[in-house]
Amino acid sequence: MFQNRTEGLALVLPAAVFIAVLFLFPVGILLSEGFKVGGEWSLAGYADFVSKPLNRTVFFRTLKLGFLVAFVSAIIGYATAFCIVNLEPAQRGRVFGLIILPLMISPVARTYAWIVILGRTGIVNKAIVGMGLSDSPIRFLFTETAVFIGLLQLFMPLMIVSLISAMENLPKDAIPAARVLGASWLQVFTKVILPLTREGLVLGGTLVFTGALTAYITPAILGGSKVLMLETLLYQRVNVSNDYVSAGIIATILIVMCFGANVVLRRVAKA
Amino acid sequence: MGQTWASRLIIFTTLLFLVGPFIIIIFAGLSAGSSLAFPPDGLSLKWYLAVFEVESFRQSFVLSMFLAVGGTLTALVIGVPAAYAICRYNIPGAETIKIIVAAPIIVPGIIVGLALLRYLVVPLEFTVTLALFLAHTALVLPYAVRVVSASLQNLRTDIEEAAVLLGCNRLQAFTKVILPNIRSGILAAFILGFVTSFNQVPVSLFLSGPGVRTLPIDMLAYMEITYDPSVAALSALLAFLSIGIVFIAEKTLGFSRYV
Repeated sequence: MFQNRTEGLALVLPAAVFIAVLFLFPVGILLSEGFKVGGEWSLAGYADFVSKPLNRTVFFRTLKLGFLVAFVSAIIGYATAFCIVNLEPAQRGRVFGLIILPLMISPVARTYAWIVILGRTGIVNKAIVGMGLSDSPIRFLFTETAVFIGLLQLFMPLMIVSLISAMENLPKDAIPAARVLGASWLQVFTKVILPLTREGLVLGGTLVFTGALTAYITPAILGGSKVLMLETLLYQRVNVSNDYVSAGIIATILIVMCFGANVVLRRVAKA
Repeated sequence: MGQTWASRLIIFTTLLFLVGPFIIIIFAGLSAGSSLAFPPDGLSLKWYLAVFEVESFRQSFVLSMFLAVGGTLTALVIGVPAAYAICRYNIPGAETIKIIVAAPIIVPGIIVGLALLRYLVVPLEFTVTLALFLAHTALVLPYAVRVVSASLQNLRTDIEEAAVLLGCNRLQAFTKVILPNIRSGILAAFILGFVTSFNQVPVSLFLSGPGVRTLPIDMLAYMEITYDPSVAALSALLAFLSIGIVFIAEKTLGFSRYV
């Protein structure tokens, strides 16, 4: 550790100034726009924003999808991570590679695949019509279900990876011990696995929840203007109606929710 | 035995959900027909080849490459000294500086893109390319600082002191002793930054201007007007590119240690 403070500051300053000027300063002004109406400081923009039913629908939908994606990722993630941790090391490495593979692929490409799968002439509809379950193709695209599926596929690897590293630290004898002592599998999960992997769950949950809240591509491609989320609503407000008050408000909501999720969940992990 | 089969089935189903769509994209791009379908109407490589003929894809690919390489290199030039200072110096306000430098990861990209456009790019009349370059650099900077910091923390501090005792000045100690030792950390930061920047959409969404678009934005625009398999083919090619880069990095550096 060097004690020369000026030298240290000189080294770190370019990066800090770069981000402060190009990042914090413009973002700060954008957030302040939500608190201004006609150049005057006021909360009228917020009151107006909340009074519109569409805005409320989009806000609650975004929150709901964020929770649902995080919750379902956690359920599938626990089952999958548990199975992967119990594999032999060589196999485990290969499966782990396949789990993180989607993270390296462009989200545009990953979301585009769902058009091929869920579209009018997609595999799912071909199967449904082919088996005679329905006479005409069912509309999946531009529904909340499609957005949910897309987001789940996009963010689930983050949950699985967090849970795998948490479970690797689980004492090997803990589960057999609980079983020998008469615990059911449900009890093993709630009394042994859950408390001991809580930090991994919280980390994965934060990543998935904030990721789903702030995703743009998936709701844009799979939801369109029928299933708006906060990010697509923001884009629409700016590009269609040039409404920077709403844009500032949505930006503030998104940032508050992301920071809030980080803070609250970190508390939960420590409690 | 029953338990093993159940566990295999669970892993298989999860992988099918995560990787399956990617396999479908590869095959949808191999279609011989003219509209997007799976299973494809006959097999041909024509859409994979057609991608290279589309002028706007070529232009946006060059721009995305420039942003990913140039932006990440710039981020490293200012990020490596910052990481070094954070790890080795007792700087005032270190915690605040760390939060500032990490901010681009936490703030949603679309907000950053819009804010930059409205309050810096338009008033100062930046060109679209310069705006995109600055935004991509800012976006990659936190990753550069974090990965290089991790690499520096694993490095013993006494070898640097030894270099100084043996007559190096501080700069020489850094370039001759520290830099060669954190080489693979820097390379890992470069690859992570490259992939992040190349696949980035929300930041570029507002900043892209007429005729100047990054490749993912161009693909989104192309998808809205046509329904042919070329976007599937291009998606598959890009995916192979990213996977190839990460695979080579993992084999040569053990990339996953740094991320």
